[in-house]
Amino acid sequence: MTARGLTPSLLLQLLVVAGAAGARWRGQGTTPHLQSIILGRCAEYDALVNPDPRGRNCTAIWEAFKVVLVKDPCSVLPSDYDRFIDLSRHSIPRDKSLFWENNHLLVTSYSENGLRFLPLCSVLYGRIGDFLSWCRQENASGLDYQSCPTSEDCENNAVDSFWKRASMQYARESSGVISVMLNGSEPSGAYPVKGFFADFEIPYLQKDKITRIEIWVMHEIGKPKVESCGEGTVKILEERLKKMGFQYSCINDHLPVKLLKCVDHSTHPDCVLN
Amino acid sequence: MANHRCGSVSEEEPCCDISKKTKICLCVFFGLLVAVIIAVPVGILMWRHPLQEWKGKGTTAHFYEILLGRCYTYTQIVRPELGHKDCQKIGKAFTTAFLSKDPCSSTEQDYQPLLELTAQTVPCNKTLFWSKSSQLAHDYTRVQGDLFTLEDTLLGYMADGLKWCGDPRSSEMNYQSCPDWREDCSNNSFSVFWNAVSKRFAEDACGVVHVVLNGSISNTFDERSTFGRVEVFNLRPEKVHQLQAWVMHDVGGVHSDSCSSSSVNNLKRILKERSIAFSCQNNYGPIRLLQCVKNPEPSSCR
Repeated sequence: MTARGLTPSLLLQLLVVAGAAGARWRGQGTTPHLQSIILGRCAEYDALVNPDPRGRNCTAIWEAFKVVLVKDPCSVLPSDYDRFIDLSRHSIPRDKSLFWENNHLLVTSYSENGLRFLPLCSVLYGRIGDFLSWCRQENASGLDYQSCPTSEDCENNAVDSFWKRASMQYARESSGVISVMLNGSEPSGAYPVKGFFADFEIPYLQKDKITRIEIWVMHEIGKPKVESCGEGTVKILEERLKKMGFQYSCINDHLPVKLLKCVDHSTHPDCVLN
Repeated sequence: MANHRCGSVSEEEPCCDISKKTKICLCVFFGLLVAVIIAVPVGILMWRHPLQEWKGKGTTAHFYEILLGRCYTYTQIVRPELGHKDCQKIGKAFTTAFLSKDPCSSTEQDYQPLLELTAQTVPCNKTLFWSKSSQLAHDYTRVQGDLFTLEDTLLGYMADGLKWCGDPRSSEMNYQSCPDWREDCSNNSFSVFWNAVSKRFAEDACGVVHVVLNGSISNTFDERSTFGRVEVFNLRPEKVHQLQAWVMHDVGGVHSDSCSSSSVNNLKRILKERSIAFSCQNNYGPIRLLQCVKNPEPSSCR
């Protein structure tokens, strides 16, 4: 599973915290002021990003989210978020869905806050959980701010179950041209055969609403190309989509995204403009 | 069987007593009704004054929740080194600056407590100003995580895109309307805030600072803009030894101004008088690449 929602610096912090304090779990502890952050994100979405003409009840959305905070940290199921999803879901414009693996920051930059594309972290329920961590303490009723379980600790942890449920919803509501951004410099393969995209998104894509699937295999500037279109795990993905009856295409280093990667490497020969 | 229906009466009682009782009840009821009908509007008029009406958009819906949520997101996630900041206090200081006050008489003093609570050190050589180039400058700092525009500092991050104002006769925010700078008054709580924080942002800058300018409009350097009026004049020459301008042209668009144009030379002159060196580059590479992301077709993007 990808470390969804963790930036490199957060990853470093979690390693430090988990190592130093002899923490119970491998993952980062509950984000402080979780309620205020979630209420604020919901309010902001409603006021500025995508107001719901019927009016969203952010308090009710928080109350629905909260139910998992009283559960044993290893007993939270994706279905525990059903009510939360029900209250926070909204339609996704056609052709705007962007799926990804091992590319969180690039996807965030490229999607331009939902203007160009609307990845999961730009829809309300994804926005609410983005970069946050949460879990109850193992043997007490309060939140655990020291550490939270990852998939290596236990499967039914609050954060992974959240993203599984959110991913399923996002896939179900996607339509038109579907874009997928993969990292072709990832040593373990561009398409994780066990991952959020493979297990909780592809199976929930609605064939009758989707015209075609476009795969972009991006490579790090100046780093080895581990896999490209038609190779290794990308080939596995292509064959799976074909078998499911989807029309698909694959592009190596899709130009607009490559240009974005080049911003940090503007003098590299691969990036020099004429 | 007991009869619980409202207004049920026993059939045993004589008719005249029932009528009398009922009449009294009805009189009292209608008396109260009339009193309420008169009292409520009077009460409303007496205790609730209508808020002032302005030409600009009102306070953003859920202003306080958004503000608080952003403060926590910034101090816990974006820049965790600021995790010690007290967001409750900061939120309070923000609203205290404008609630129950005339939104056309705002002063920088109103925002002093807020400024103090949100003090933040931006590393030298990492300050990025912008003028008429908001989207591009912010797209750039989203990718170049170690550069700061004002909106990448705590207070700028909290307030970005929000609108607010109060009313002297109420303790509530005015969600209906707020003063427009041009059509109502210039010393409004919103404009005064941005002048105050821009001033501080410039005062705090050190080393080599940068500005993204828009070369596809005339008046690339506009002396009436916040950059021209406030920021340039609050750079401290003893701390800032150079300002480097990046003049960006729209890809495939008009080249109205550039480093050699008169407005940019005006900027150079102003800085020289303040003993700050100036350098300029047209279409700085990394930002040009960003523009091409939006529009990869033109030849200048290949």
